[in-house]
Amino acid sequence: MNVANQEEKILSLTNLSMSYGGDLVLRWIDLDVYRGQIIGYIGPNGAGKSTTVKIMLGLVEGYNGTVEIFGQDIGNGDPSYKRKIGYVPENAEVYDNLTACEYLTFTGEMYGMDAEKAERKALLLLDKFDMRGVFHTKISSFSKGMKQKVLIISSLLHDPDLLFLDEPLSGLDANSVMIIKEILAQLAAEGKTIFYSSHIMEVVEKISSRIVLLADGKIVADGTFAELQAKNEEGTLEEIFNQLTGFNEHREIAKSFVSIVREGGS
Amino acid sequence: MMKNFLSLRMLDFCSRLFTMLGVDYPVMRRILQVKLTMDQRRVPTIFEQSKTKEGNQFIKSLGLYAFYGLILVPFIIFGDYYLFQMTLVFAMMMFILMTTMIADFSAVLLDVRDKNILNTKPVNQRTVSTAKAVHVCIYMIQLTGAFAAVPLLVGLFVKGVLFTVIFLFELLLVGMLIVVLTALIYIFILQFFDGERLKDVINYVQILLSVGIVVGFQVMARVFDFSDLNVDFTFQWWHLLLPPIWYSAPFEWLLNGNSASYIIGYSIMSVVVPIAAIVLYSRLLPSFERNLQKLLQYSGVNKRKAYRLDQLLAKIVCKTKEERTFYRFSALMMKQERQFKLKVYPSLGFAFVFPFIFLFNEISRNGFGSLPGSKYFLTIYFGNIMIPAVVHMLKFSSNYKGAWIFRAAPIRNEAIFYQSALKAFLTKLYLPLMVLLSIIFVSMFSFRIVPDVIVVLLAGVLHALLSYKLLNNQTHPFSRSFEFASEVDTAKNIILIAIIGGFAVLHYLATLVPYGVLGYLGIVLIAVFISWRLVFPAKEKKLLISQA
Repeated sequence: MNVANQEEKILSLTNLSMSYGGDLVLRWIDLDVYRGQIIGYIGPNGAGKSTTVKIMLGLVEGYNGTVEIFGQDIGNGDPSYKRKIGYVPENAEVYDNLTACEYLTFTGEMYGMDAEKAERKALLLLDKFDMRGVFHTKISSFSKGMKQKVLIISSLLHDPDLLFLDEPLSGLDANSVMIIKEILAQLAAEGKTIFYSSHIMEVVEKISSRIVLLADGKIVADGTFAELQAKNEEGTLEEIFNQLTGFNEHREIAKSFVSIVREGGS
Repeated sequence: MMKNFLSLRMLDFCSRLFTMLGVDYPVMRRILQVKLTMDQRRVPTIFEQSKTKEGNQFIKSLGLYAFYGLILVPFIIFGDYYLFQMTLVFAMMMFILMTTMIADFSAVLLDVRDKNILNTKPVNQRTVSTAKAVHVCIYMIQLTGAFAAVPLLVGLFVKGVLFTVIFLFELLLVGMLIVVLTALIYIFILQFFDGERLKDVINYVQILLSVGIVVGFQVMARVFDFSDLNVDFTFQWWHLLLPPIWYSAPFEWLLNGNSASYIIGYSIMSVVVPIAAIVLYSRLLPSFERNLQKLLQYSGVNKRKAYRLDQLLAKIVCKTKEERTFYRFSALMMKQERQFKLKVYPSLGFAFVFPFIFLFNEISRNGFGSLPGSKYFLTIYFGNIMIPAVVHMLKFSSNYKGAWIFRAAPIRNEAIFYQSALKAFLTKLYLPLMVLLSIIFVSMFSFRIVPDVIVVLLAGVLHALLSYKLLNNQTHPFSRSFEFASEVDTAKNIILIAIIGGFAVLHYLATLVPYGVLGYLGIVLIAVFISWRLVFPAKEKKLLISQA
């Protein structure tokens, strides 16, 4: 059912489960991801998306099942598999009292690059976003969009083979969004694998070569957008999402919301 | 580019050791370099009350700690009662080190960004945790070093080599104990509460540090003129609970040859407890790392707190509905914003303590008996020094960007914003504190001074209005970043402090005339009414004042 080339498995989850204080947030997930795929990883809030990504990055321990990345079981305690991974976290966490130069050079070095190369490359990449002028400015003074661009650059600086992006477009203007979408498509064409989580269905629908929908800790749909459309009668990804997550009372909720707004206003 | 820190160059000598422990030394060094660079850009709490924000804040604060270290010197040189003298020395030391550690280093110990930024990189966990531990140690060594440098040198010249060796060794143990104790406190709090509560605790410690340092020095300067001091020490079991005594015991033992069993017991405690604490800490560390995640969670109680009282106060002091709304809003901002509390509560602390400090001289000279007939109650005016400081801070908020709501809301009379903020300050912060102070003063000076105290409170209201007019004079409170909070116009502040003096002098003169105080009371009361009307016109017109 996967359209991408089947030969090289980049990432494989087998029987993955995870519980926080008795609540099962992931229920025995199986997932294989192949080279060059752009996975749109979607699901309602609390479905377990971030938990999956955090497990794969080694940020969360105590899961059951196996996680293999680049053929290595990540539970063996050797962090070297992270060398070829890039990550854009959801809530834009950076050491923001460093300058863009300092931060990017530092993260590059953490991935094993040497300082001069990281700095040179960081400047060239920032220049593409017209941010050359703030190379030596503290990140704390950046706007949300600028900060997001720094995060995206820091995730790509070391030319990773696997990218985890959590709402990477938040805060970016329409033109920057177009650039990033094109960058992702071209990276995938070069054989990079991208794991893309977002709540913005239109974007996921357009850029993903494969969509994985998570609900209640389980994978409820997996395939290309065309395949999902064929299986469900609904048209857009948003509608499919609503249908598969069993959510169909948006009209009723909106109606009663509006009636509360209207009641006793000034 | 980032500096090659001296501490890192020193650390390079141990690189072999770290490599042997399974640490990736170059990576750890790089992490430390980033962390130390960020430290330099933080403003330490000890500077929270000052204005200079340029240059390397951290090095400057070390200079200040070295200066504070001077106060330990007299305790070291004035005699050979080591058990007593060194207990005082270590007590002060532990207070300063512990509060500084919590106030300034919490941000480092509790940095939740580390996880997302460092643990996603191909760096092993041991390297990251060792970097954290080394970072804390570098900080502790610098801090202790700065604070103890002068006392150590003086000790070397006055008390000899053995003293200095014991002192150094004990400092090492104290440093260890404090690092571990701080961490254990965090572990304890995070075990039972969430991150918000921990942030509150840290906030209050920061406030305590700011007040403690200033007040401590004021008190110290006055209390310790007992030069011919002779203390007999009798052992009590609860002394075992006082860490500073443990650390003074080895001096008594090794330098005075006092080998009483309790002295040896203390000395053993001084070594065993830090080591036991480290063992306990390493046991608890995994659960600590897990609980750190709580810092990101907002489990907060979903319950409205003490709303009734605010509601009632709002009804009493505000006329219109809009004003009441902003009164409650201002009260909440003052109560819940940590940055605001950190800037303002120390001033409240000073306001409470200063009147007593200035009374102290009189009491120590003539005793309590002479107070009721005297006019020393006028020292209560020192309580009013908080007014300009707090009114100035009303301009700021760490959420200053939220101030768009003032402009967006359809409010006709813009005077109500500051009017209600000032009312909230007066009723929620000023009055409770001054009423408490007044009660204490009345109990010391007899009921005779009740009218005087009322005059002081009214003068406070007048002073708040003057401060507003002189310092703020803008439309929207809580609308600027705290970054600008240090831009104080010194001249205006001096004028405002002088005005307090003016009120006090007039008050003094009024006491010389029969019924003078009552007359003065009447005048001040009328002045309050008139000036409030002038400053905050009730008419619905835009205030003609410059926007900041």
